Formats: sequence, structure tokens, C-alpha cells
Amino acid sequence: MKTRILGFVGLAAVIGAAVFGLFVVPADLNQGDAQRIMYPHVASAWLGELSFGVTALAGIGYLWRRDLRLDAIAHAAAEVGVLFTAFAIWGGMMWGRPVWGVYWQWEDPRLATTALLLALGIGYLLLRRLTDDPARRATRAAVVGIIAALDIPIIHFSVIWWRGLHQTPTFGDPSKLLNPSAPGLFVIALMGMLAAFTVVWCYLMIRRYQLARIEWQIEEHGRLGRISAARRAAAMNAAAQETSA
Amino acid sequence: MTDVAFVVAGYAVILGGAALYAIALGRRLRAARATSMKIRRDAEAAGPPDRTA
Repeated sequence: MKTRILGFVGLAAVIGAAVFGLFVVPADLNQGDAQRIMYPHVASAWLGELSFGVTALAGIGYLWRRDLRLDAIAHAAAEVGVLFTAFAIWGGMMWGRPVWGVYWQWEDPRLATTALLLALGIGYLLLRRLTDDPARRATRAAVVGIIAALDIPIIHFSVIWWRGLHQTPTFGDPSKLLNPSAPGLFVIALMGMLAAFTVVWCYLMIRRYQLARIEWQIEEHGRLGRISAARRAAAMNAAAQETSA
Repeated sequence: MTDVAFVVAGYAVILGGAALYAIALGRRLRAARATSMKIRRDAEAAGPPDRTA
């Protein structure tokens, strides 16, 4: 019930933030209305990176404690992370075409490293399908999740370390947090969308975690059933051989 | 409004995608809960677990 309420709060918050970003905030002098895409784009990018951070932390926790609940958290975060990273890339492309003149440029380090994170996230989810053994699957997935998370600081600092199309952070360091290089209404719209998307992310994470736990129970039941059937068949085989001997 | 098509496409795919994922997730969760309940009922109907397994 509480999760359902969280879902409705998230839905209302996203609708409110979208209306504010689309109709209340004025258009940017240089970027025009395309700047409005920044709000869901930045929020999606933040949550994509947060998700893979959670995947890595839960993976480290699994390798340490060998608790499959931590693997379920990692799995949930990876799936949600792939979704939000794809949204961030889509939003960036829709903003990039009118402002930069191109949808995509592989030479840009921010774009390339974000695409790499998406590929690693999809790889993580595909890797999980390779084995039925929960412990082996969780161990392998934890290692890949940790490797994927190494890309997060590279994405963040890519605009500082290398030259590319992507701009440097608008309020990425403490001095810019207090004095951002964007008008106040733009900052409110961005923060509002960030908060709304974070509520939705929490809702999706809880639901995906619940699903992962139930899926694991069903899978475990099926695995035990197969083991039981195999043992019964072996016992019957042995009995048949004894009878014929 | 300038670049309407890009703004609409940006918002529609992101917000619509999140909504579709939430709906799909709800359906997957309901289906998984139903399967889990069925397994539990079947196990209860079958009696105590097989000791040879």
C-alpha cells in the first residue's frame, strides 16, 4: 500500500515537474525551447548513474556476505539503470540535434562513455541469463556490475578531462551549487524534475526488487523440482537394473 | 515554441517509456505473485515434502 502511494506521489510529481518545465519556465535565449529537454535528460542521466552505483555496491555486498537479497537489489538497479541511461541518451539526442546540429557524435567522450555504460548494463542483464545457478550467476553479475560502475566517474569527469561537444557541469562543484551558471527558474525546474524522477526511481526499484525476489523463489522451486525428479528417475533406474540382474 | 517536434519527442519517449515500464513491471509482478501462490497451493495440496529428494 505504501509503495502504491509512493507511485502516485511520483506520478503527480513528474506531471507537475513536466508542466513547470514545459509551460512555466521561459525559453532559453540561445537554445530556445530545446533547453526544456534538459530537465528529463539530466534527471535520467543522474538516475542511470545512481542505479549502476547501487548495482556495484550491492554486488560488492553480495561478494562479501553471499546474501541473494543483495543480488536481487543489484539486478533491480541494473534493469532500472538501463532504462534511465537509455532515456538520458534519447533526451540528449533530442536536445543535441537542434542545439549542436547533430544527434550523436562518437568523438565526444561524455556521449561515448554513456553509451558504454548502457552497453555494460545490457551486458549485465544478458549475462544473468547464462546460468540457472543463483550463486554462480550472482557472483558473475557482481563482477560485471563493479566493472560497469568504474565508468561512472569517467562519465562525470569526461567533460573536464577531455574536450568534446558536451558542456561542463552547470552546478557540478560546490562553488557552482551556490552560484549556478543558469537562471533561478531553470535551476528550480531542473531540481523539481530531479526530485520527481528520484521518487519514480524509488518506486520502480521497490517493485523490481519485489519481482526479483518472487522470480528467485519460483526459480528455486523449479530447480528443486528438477533435482527431485532426477533423483526419483535415478532411483527407479537402479531398481529396474537390480530386478533385471 | 521552437523545436516543438524535438521537445515533444524528448518528453514523450522518456515519460511514456517510464509509464510503460511501470505498467509492464506491475503486470510481471502480478503474474509472478499468481505463479508463486499456485506453487504454494500445489505444495500444500501435495502434503509433506518428498524425503528422498
